[in-house]
Amino acid sequence: MSVANQTVAGPPAELRFHRRIGIRTSMRELWGARELIRTLAERDIRARYKQATLGIAWSVITPIILMVVFSVFFHGVVKVKIPQGVPYPLFTYVGLLPWTFFSGCVAQGGMSLVTNNNLMNKVYCPREVFPLAACAVAAFDTTISTVILGVLFVIFTFAPKITTLWVPVIMIVQLMFTLGVTLIISSTLVYLRDLRQALPLVLQMGLFATPVVYPSTILPANLQWLYALLNPLAPIITSYRNVVLLGLPPQWGLLGLGAITSSVVFFGGYIMFKRLETGFADVA
Amino acid sequence: MLPDGAIEANHLWKRFRGDRRRRVLRDELERIVDRMRGRGGRGWKWALQDIDFAIEPGEAVGLFGVNGSGKSTLLKILTRVMYPYAGNVSVGGRVGALIEIKAGIHPDLTGRENIYLYGSLLGLPRKHVADRFDNIVAFAELEDAIDRQVKFYSSGMNMRLGFAVAAYLEPDVLLVDEVLAVGDASFQQKCLDRMREVIADGTTLVFVSHDLAAVEAICSRGIWLAGGEVQFDGPIRESLSGYRRSIEEHSESLTRRDGVVRLVKVEVAGDDDGRIRTEGPFSVRMVMEAAEAGPATLYLGVSEGPGTPIFSLARSTFFASGETEIRCAIETLPLPRGRFFLWVGVFGAKGHDLLQWHPAEHFDVIGPELDPAPRGVVRLAPVHVTADWEIEGR
Repeated sequence: MSVANQTVAGPPAELRFHRRIGIRTSMRELWGARELIRTLAERDIRARYKQATLGIAWSVITPIILMVVFSVFFHGVVKVKIPQGVPYPLFTYVGLLPWTFFSGCVAQGGMSLVTNNNLMNKVYCPREVFPLAACAVAAFDTTISTVILGVLFVIFTFAPKITTLWVPVIMIVQLMFTLGVTLIISSTLVYLRDLRQALPLVLQMGLFATPVVYPSTILPANLQWLYALLNPLAPIITSYRNVVLLGLPPQWGLLGLGAITSSVVFFGGYIMFKRLETGFADVA
Repeated sequence: MLPDGAIEANHLWKRFRGDRRRRVLRDELERIVDRMRGRGGRGWKWALQDIDFAIEPGEAVGLFGVNGSGKSTLLKILTRVMYPYAGNVSVGGRVGALIEIKAGIHPDLTGRENIYLYGSLLGLPRKHVADRFDNIVAFAELEDAIDRQVKFYSSGMNMRLGFAVAAYLEPDVLLVDEVLAVGDASFQQKCLDRMREVIADGTTLVFVSHDLAAVEAICSRGIWLAGGEVQFDGPIRESLSGYRRSIEEHSESLTRRDGVVRLVKVEVAGDDDGRIRTEGPFSVRMVMEAAEAGPATLYLGVSEGPGTPIFSLARSTFFASGETEIRCAIETLPLPRGRFFLWVGVFGAKGHDLLQWHPAEHFDVIGPELDPAPRGVVRLAPVHVTADWEIEGR
């Protein structure tokens, strides 16, 4: 008794399965799975530090070491030009926070469907919970890193400016872009495992394509709009620096351009994810 | 919307890549060329073909078939983990699944954390899980190990945890795929008992197993899959006996190596009218041809299903070279109504095959149906025992 072979004609075309899922149903499902996202994120955080002697301290150590390295290298050795009156470690750290969040989401979230495939093949849940849980883990790390930022302010006796109140607005654009990219990468990676190899490389290059160690002003002013469209993280980071460190408003124009890209990525990414979702179990 | 616990599958089709082409660029290009020439269907294999059934809430359905017949694929579609190629499936209520033994259980977390994780995978609030926590732990017999990481569990502990979680979180539909294999005998019985309780509480059960006795003990309905199609769907005993027969016929049809001894002829007989009856006489007549003389042990067996005999008989003898006629008579045949298979084998002094153990003939017994065993109790073999009952009020 062998498995059916391809001589079987197959089902009539009108029987073909087409999943119809509206944005409202998917939203309702996702809302129903919010506790699952929390549990998954909690699981990842717990599991990550379970056998690490330093445990949760790693969330703090990583950004600090990066900051020190960048400060020594880009400030001490290369002497990158930054705005007057801002200590370089603070300048780079404020850029490092959104970047680490982004790369954490994309690296972990991108792999999440593959690493969780045993769970995914067991019980139904909206598949986006896996990348979203990975993003929640990254958000947890970023929160801890933000506390460190507070400590840095004390050390450098530098007070954040009142314009810091703009942060939530910038954060919306940042979240949309980051989640969108994560959804796109994670759903594509299931089918195209090459991405697994390429991802770390691309993220490393991304760090240098993003104004983390340098100010975005090193690009010519007439190309800034293109930069903002292609890499929304650039106006996001610059705006964060403006509002937190310099007491300036966000870069409204460029941030707006970044927001356009971010929305396209976010909504397009979600739709793409839901489209590709039906085949995950076949290949994962 | 279906009521909780109901399952409906309409014309399900599912296919997988069956070719050996890997997913490198060159192969992808080849596929694209195929598609342009209108041969896009090349290299696909149908795992399910036009599967159509409906299960009522509270039904206990056994799903069986040989390896590769599509059982697991069907279960995956029922859990909505996988999507069909054509047709559709709807399942009412929450689905609890125990599909692969370790799946759903994260090795780096403790048993406790895993229970909560699985609960939220099923969409249960934490409180709901907490209420049942002690029951789950007690059932899985993991009191001492519950705060240990699951990767340090033995495979039996793993399976017990998985089963306990799936069975105690009270899903509307419980899907169980081949899990009893790892548990020890007492735990297997415990699982069967729990499944029976779960059914009694109104949960729908779909049970996949190669342990046909267990399937028979639990389920009232059987769906037999063969080559991705439903071969039979009906009362459990009927569908199981059809399945058993097909396995037996399959092994009968396997070309067997003729050994030193060749079976020339085999005949079974019963009463004077030739019919074989429960508790009646039964005789076997065989003619064997030996290439060389030597001592040997002759075995006869009778089985209902795949391989495992209900009883077997052995006789040491000495084969002269040439033909030998062997007659064996059983005075009263302790078998109920049904089709049975006669197995024959001859083995040399050192236990080597002279004639491979194989089903040589099948026969039908006329007589009473076997009394059923209580639900959830596995009966080892269908043996007919005549009994007189007297029940009086006192």
